[in-house]
Amino acid sequence: MSDKRNPADRIRRVVVLGANGTMGYQSGALFAAADVDVVYLARTKEKAEKGREGAANAVRSAAIKSRISCGGYDDLGKHVPDADLIFEAVAEDLDIKRALYEKVDAARRDDSIVATVSSGLSIDELVDGRSDSFARNFCGLHFFNPPQVMVGTELIGGKATDPQVLDFVESYSEKVLGRVMVRTANTAGFAGNRVGFKVLNEAAQLAMTHGPLLVDRLLGPYTGRAMPPLRTIDLVGWDVHRAIVDNVCAKVEDEAIATYRMPERMRALLEQGTLGDKGGYGFFKSDGKGKPKLVLDPTSGEYRPESHQNVPELPFVDEIVFLHRIGEYGRAMQRFAEADGELAEMSRRVIGGYISYSFHRVGEVTESIAGIDRIMAAGFNWAPPSALVDTIGKDRTVKMIEQAGLPVPKQLTDAIARAGDGPLFDEPRLSLGRYFVAAA
Amino acid sequence: MANDVFVLGGHQTDFARNWNKEGKHFLAMMRESVLGALELTDVPPADIEVAHVGNFAAELYCKQGHLGAFFVEIDPAFSGLPTSRHEAACASGSIALLAASAEIEAGRYGLACVVGVEQMKTVGSKVGGDFLGTAAWYELEAEGIDFPFPKLFGKLGDEYDKRYGLKAEHLDAISVINYANAKLNPNAQTRNWYMSADHAACKGDDNPAVGGRIHLTDCSQVTDGAATLLLASRDYAADYARRRGIDLDAIPRLAGWGHHTAPLRFADKVKESKGHKYVLPHVRATVTDAMGRAGIASVDSIDGIETHDCFTTSEYMAIDHFGLTAPGESWKAIEEGRIALTGDTPINPSGGLIGAGHPVGATGVRQCLDAYKQVTGTAGDYQVEGARTFATLNIGGSGTTSVSFILSR
Repeated sequence: MSDKRNPADRIRRVVVLGANGTMGYQSGALFAAADVDVVYLARTKEKAEKGREGAANAVRSAAIKSRISCGGYDDLGKHVPDADLIFEAVAEDLDIKRALYEKVDAARRDDSIVATVSSGLSIDELVDGRSDSFARNFCGLHFFNPPQVMVGTELIGGKATDPQVLDFVESYSEKVLGRVMVRTANTAGFAGNRVGFKVLNEAAQLAMTHGPLLVDRLLGPYTGRAMPPLRTIDLVGWDVHRAIVDNVCAKVEDEAIATYRMPERMRALLEQGTLGDKGGYGFFKSDGKGKPKLVLDPTSGEYRPESHQNVPELPFVDEIVFLHRIGEYGRAMQRFAEADGELAEMSRRVIGGYISYSFHRVGEVTESIAGIDRIMAAGFNWAPPSALVDTIGKDRTVKMIEQAGLPVPKQLTDAIARAGDGPLFDEPRLSLGRYFVAAA
Repeated sequence: MANDVFVLGGHQTDFARNWNKEGKHFLAMMRESVLGALELTDVPPADIEVAHVGNFAAELYCKQGHLGAFFVEIDPAFSGLPTSRHEAACASGSIALLAASAEIEAGRYGLACVVGVEQMKTVGSKVGGDFLGTAAWYELEAEGIDFPFPKLFGKLGDEYDKRYGLKAEHLDAISVINYANAKLNPNAQTRNWYMSADHAACKGDDNPAVGGRIHLTDCSQVTDGAATLLLASRDYAADYARRRGIDLDAIPRLAGWGHHTAPLRFADKVKESKGHKYVLPHVRATVTDAMGRAGIASVDSIDGIETHDCFTTSEYMAIDHFGLTAPGESWKAIEEGRIALTGDTPINPSGGLIGAGHPVGATGVRQCLDAYKQVTGTAGDYQVEGARTFATLNIGGSGTTSVSFILSR
């Protein structure tokens, strides 16, 4: 496996399984854009061809299609033996994936790599029953949606994965595909979703009593994210949200798991068909013309115009937004840490919780906080936890977490002690200011 | 004899960012870049003695003038500082650098901060194209015309074609090289965009014509961005080198500069250059002045160039105007691979205006910052190996105001 060649030379042909799905064709386009020959496979050749059209749309060029050929799963035996990398992006279902892997195992070359884009299934369970060679060369390569925009990527090895395979996939993804890579443990939700959906679900819990509009304002872009949390859940889809939080709740017991339980009322609404944007309505609903926005009343399940909502004035939010607007991020977040009132406290509990939860995960899902920082920035478009600590101020952050009644992780106090006068966040490839968005 | 001007380094913002989407004022951009420059160079804010801001059209894009005064807002230590704002269309950043360097040469100040800034995504592409038209003679060349600048630089290609012949494949190659270099630059706007020779060659819906022979892939980008550079006198630089425990020789100097202005209208430029070997003789004079002042006999002594590729035709023009080939033979340097990152005179290792982006007022400063990175060996993945002398060429209007710098160490 040790290979001194340019990583680009080792991957000349990629087979994408599930190329009709959004993640399939978009991820496949990353390889095709890097001048790799890519074969799109789906249940039928026609579906794969639709995926190829999707790839052209994703990169806004029909020229990419010359790099992509198409086929159905019947052609798998023909294409897989030629592939240097087999990239699987079929439905997030253990049995479906396993059945396909059996066919891949029979057809692949011993030196080919197999990667799954799965966002949460266990790498070890996925290779159960496969050949040693398959398991050695198998890893999770979790791109975030849409991969053309979100460069953060998680790399997950299983118990049997050859460390040199992981080294190679990491360097290939960085150098050839331009990804920002994070290695994570094979734990539920890996790093990004584990931390991200904790915050999203806590916002959903608060929305059940305080209403979606107030919660999205309190935890909005000014707290260090491109999109407010409930808008994010609507975009992701309520069904996907449920699958992710239920998976974590089933497999994990941690200090903040209570914030990870999906509100029963939300579960009921989902069962009645509330799916988020893909079904037309979630926490918010468009009137068909884009605006005005209609807002869910979680109690009645009805939607009311935004203008009819009783949302209190939030002067501290306005002040922070202005400070972000002129680039005074430090002063802005210090104002956040010191703002008076229950609503400011509520917001600080969630943001403090994000920082506390992230540092608690160090050693469990990533080796250091840098991995969580990278994936929250480049996978979620959120201010990374370390950067929040630096911007709010180290001592002020600890105090903020304590006052919110949350545990201050040893990983955080250790990191603060190690950093001395310097910053916790050390990632020259990510420019911090972009995560402090000047919008309420 | 004038005093030497030393370049201590600087900072640029991530040109992929959309500051309007972030809800930001251009002051945020200036603040990030200036404070970033101070941090990277380890210079305390109180050391800055004078500040120059390069900007083209904040009055149009942001309805705000008096940009020099915004420098004072960046840090309490800047209160009272002498500041000014400079405008020469797309060459605004270089004009700000010229003003700052002249002050250092004259011995007025020991340390100057130059920041170029432009926020362009506040308006749609059509309105923005109209604003850019004010860099030409607006009434005569731009008013009522959609995207006037691609059309003007399309005419530059037409003039080459008429005098020497010009093939689309060579312009395509310029685009492909710039995009490929941009993939190596963590601050480049297009670093994650798709580009291939096939895509540049296709001239259909995915790559429409925007002005004569100019297609979308021939164009630089609409970009929000700022870039900052610190210029110092010999005394300040010597003290700075001592503080950091480095040799004064390790700090690059602005070794030469050139600066000319041609008639504003493109048609007048062409008329004036009739019978001349160079299509834009004033640009040629800018480049030879810079080399002459730096004591450089020919382009052979230059390790690389950051040039003004607002369109592929302007880079095509730069190749022969720098003297890489005889006039009209720029295509030879392209075919021989000389301008690629691995060639003998790489052009735009950063990705240039096409790949890295073109925040108009920041571009001249960004070019010199990249030249600084190259000659100090700090350009990362787009480093030109062993570079010690780098040239820039920054152009305002349709080849109207041109400025060139030589940085060397």
